[in-house]
Amino acid sequence: MLKIKNLVSGYGSVQILNGANMKVENQSIVALLGGNGTGKSTILKACSGIIRTWKGSINFNGEDIQNLPPHNIVEKGLVQVTQGKDVFPAMTVLENLKLGGFTLKSKQTLNDNIEKVFNYFPRLNERKSQLAATLSGGELQMLCIGRGLMSNPKMIMLDEPSAALAPQIVLDIFKNINKIRKDGLTVLVVEQNVRMALLLADYGYVIKDGVINVEGESKKLMYDESVKDSYLGGGGTTANV
Amino acid sequence: MFKGFKLTRKLENTLMLVFTLIFLGYISMSPDMNLESLKGVLIIGITVGIIYGLVAVGISLIYTGLDVVNFSHGEFFMLGAFTGLTVYNFLIDGELIYAIFPDAYGWVGYVIGLFFAFVVMGLFGVLIERVFLRPLTKKGGGYTVAGMGIIICGFGLSVVLLNLAYIIWNPTAHPFHADLGLPINIGGVTLPMTYLWMLVTGFTVAGALYFFLNKTKMGLGVRAVAHSKVISNLVGINVPLYISIIFGIACALAGLAGTLVGPTYQVVVYMGYIILLKAFASAVVGGFGSLPGAIVGGFTVGLFETSCAFFISGSHKDAYAFLLMIVVLLIKPTGFFGVQVKMKA
Repeated sequence: MLKIKNLVSGYGSVQILNGANMKVENQSIVALLGGNGTGKSTILKACSGIIRTWKGSINFNGEDIQNLPPHNIVEKGLVQVTQGKDVFPAMTVLENLKLGGFTLKSKQTLNDNIEKVFNYFPRLNERKSQLAATLSGGELQMLCIGRGLMSNPKMIMLDEPSAALAPQIVLDIFKNINKIRKDGLTVLVVEQNVRMALLLADYGYVIKDGVINVEGESKKLMYDESVKDSYLGGGGTTANV
Repeated sequence: MFKGFKLTRKLENTLMLVFTLIFLGYISMSPDMNLESLKGVLIIGITVGIIYGLVAVGISLIYTGLDVVNFSHGEFFMLGAFTGLTVYNFLIDGELIYAIFPDAYGWVGYVIGLFFAFVVMGLFGVLIERVFLRPLTKKGGGYTVAGMGIIICGFGLSVVLLNLAYIIWNPTAHPFHADLGLPINIGGVTLPMTYLWMLVTGFTVAGALYFFLNKTKMGLGVRAVAHSKVISNLVGINVPLYISIIFGIACALAGLAGTLVGPTYQVVVYMGYIILLKAFASAVVGGFGSLPGAIVGGFTVGLFETSCAFFISGSHKDAYAFLLMIVVLLIKPTGFFGVQVKMKA
């Protein structure tokens, strides 16, 4: 579904990605792991067109999408969900969701999609006429994911859906991500909560210094010594889930 | 206000109220004070206010959309007035409009003039944004180095447009004889028809803008782009297009306001300068970046200015708007509507 080949990119004149290679299969959940500042989010931003791709190619559904304007990439069905708090605080939950479906042409599809999102996250239905600024952290994350689903995407890319949330809420959101996959979407998750992400995902990539360092089936990856050493705190049992 | 002394919201509001009461008390002691003059001041103040409001809304729209203050906005007002005047004179000079509307040619011509001022200035604004501002806004606005560049570019643009108007229309004042009929009497106040046109058109356009921003899909997009360009990109909004739309709407409003003001004074190339400063004061009073605030600020400045000019002294008319701006900045630095919606941490 998504193939990234030798991706080189960065901010301004600072190069972050030094030739990353990735592949996301159709209807799978893929986890992209790594420490701070290794380029996880940069890959997502390059895919969604917010920053320019310097070298290499990004192929989505057989089409090269590198350096297309961001709204065209959304129209092709690739949507990035940014970290938790990126909503429109002065608008209601419903308006936020409507903005998510901005590329939709028909009003009927828009309303159907709003229903669909409320099915995944019933909490949003209760709060639909509140301003987004009044939501709690977990609800904001639900709103962000819901907004991403509004445009009928084929694949969504989630940027740290578990950041700064209570474990119970993280579990709830991850269950919903699994449900979204079962309904036919492809998911790419960027995470710092490595253990949780590997439990959810089918396949994992570990990024280090702008290149993919380790990759493999997530079950294998969980017992991989180098991953354990770098990200799971060595002991394995002591890492908190 | 003082170092290490922060006003609470409640204290701010109390101080504003005290200032208003002192002001009202002061003007009520004026020898000119009576019901007739008060009615006149109210109507003129609101009329002038809606014009300031329309220009201030444009400044606020550009500020939220492009993250810069557009210092050439007054020139769009001036060019709009000239566009309206030229179209009106062209129509009245031609025989065609008499043939179609033998009785009411005056206001039909004026409406067409208003329409052209709106559309031409809107398209001109889009052109200016695409050609001159786009290369700069790409690098960022606000407090960045590029943002400073755009502000200076705004001043330069102002000079260029002013001189362009010099070349086309020469520096003499052009009278705008809009034939709109005899003055009418509203509640004992004799009001020239131009003022009625300002009131009605101003309120209609402000209402239409409110409807556009809150009820239509494009308006939703405009508000989204005004809040955050990155998130707007991610939800699939064509951000560069919407920035052009924002700039176009703002310039169209200024052009419309120009043609509305034209018949009350004269149309002259300098007219954009003072309206820019007054509209800027209105935007600050209402809360910079807030659209309802810009309209309310326009009314406040219009009413304050008119009542001071009438009851205190007419010779310092242009200073009162800035007096009010200074008072509001001292007491309530955010302006009336300048409260940003804070996210829960």
